[in-house]
Amino acid sequence: MFDFDATLPLMAIQFLLLVVVLDKVFYKPFGKTLDDRSEYVRSKRLGSQERLDQSKKMAEQYEAELAETRKRAQSIVATAQSEAQKLASAQMAEAQQEAQGQREAVQGEIDQQKRSAMATLDGQVDQLSNQILEKLLSTAR
Amino acid sequence: MATLMMPNLLNFSNILPLAELEVGHHFYWHLGGLSLHGQVFLTSWFVIGILLIASVLAGRDRTMIPAGLQNFMEYVLEFIRDLAKNQLGEKEYRPWVPFIGTLFLFIFVSNWSGALLPWKVIQLPEGELAAPTGDINTTVALALLTSLAYFYAGFRKRGLGYFAKYIEPTPILLPIAILEDFTKPLSLSFRLFGNILADELVVAVLVLLVPLFVPVPVMMLGLFTSAIQALVFATLAGAYIHEALEGHGEEDH
Repeated sequence: MFDFDATLPLMAIQFLLLVVVLDKVFYKPFGKTLDDRSEYVRSKRLGSQERLDQSKKMAEQYEAELAETRKRAQSIVATAQSEAQKLASAQMAEAQQEAQGQREAVQGEIDQQKRSAMATLDGQVDQLSNQILEKLLSTAR
Repeated sequence: MATLMMPNLLNFSNILPLAELEVGHHFYWHLGGLSLHGQVFLTSWFVIGILLIASVLAGRDRTMIPAGLQNFMEYVLEFIRDLAKNQLGEKEYRPWVPFIGTLFLFIFVSNWSGALLPWKVIQLPEGELAAPTGDINTTVALALLTSLAYFYAGFRKRGLGYFAKYIEPTPILLPIAILEDFTKPLSLSFRLFGNILADELVVAVLVLLVPLFVPVPVMMLGLFTSAIQALVFATLAGAYIHEALEGHGEEDH
């Protein structure tokens, strides 16, 4: 059971050769694959993290721009509304004034015609009353 | 009853070549003036072949997204790296991955080949095929390489200052510190050798007595011990190398 012989050193040499050969065909290439992969994953993760940060920043920027634009739009709408209001009220006042003037003019004309008609009527009333008087007097005679 | 049964069982075991106990018989090869245990080399070449073929097959065209055998071998490498990293620390472990990893893989595949494959079906002129780690020569070779490895690690890291670790806490412990260098390979080699050989013997004896079903739980236990022993050997090798790199004085646990 315990007989040592040349098996021992030859086995040691054989084992060392196995270490060297396995290093060539297994440990080095597969280790390289593992390292490459972890490096690849690490770099990819870093890049994507960077991109994520960048896009977040961009989204924030857009959000800020959007808010600002919205505020500006609101102010523009407000000024336009007030201007339009002013314009409308001015035009309304003008139109009312014009209408007032026209109405006054027409009123004056109506008054004048009424007066002239009254004068004509007065004359005719006098004439008719004279005629009536003459007729009454002639019949009484 | 017993006297009736025994010849039956013995006859039965003679029919099955699986159940033979041949401890201490070796299939000797003679190389010049040297004698070798041929059966150990045959099975170790088988184990080495499995490792190399698996590596080459899995490594033919590696892709960023692993699949199939490549995935499995990457899992194996990650396991080995974790093992080495746990023992040696993040900073030092990389150059020692091939050594510790090959220790683990070689011992693990050897043990499982011994536990899973019916080596005994293949007849040898003398002795029998079994796990290479069931031979004391293999385990001592691996343990001595581990000793060399941690001496190498210590000298490369700290030069002759490595010897300071023998008298570092107090020179009184010098004999014990020197003794440690002998007990480490001794315990490493005998633990592995004893576990694997004992497991094979238990299974062989049980197969001899009751050839069907009864040895199966013991075989399962054998698979478990085999895996644990491979892990223990590699872990201890890592721990010894770490100790040599760090020294007794500046250890921080």
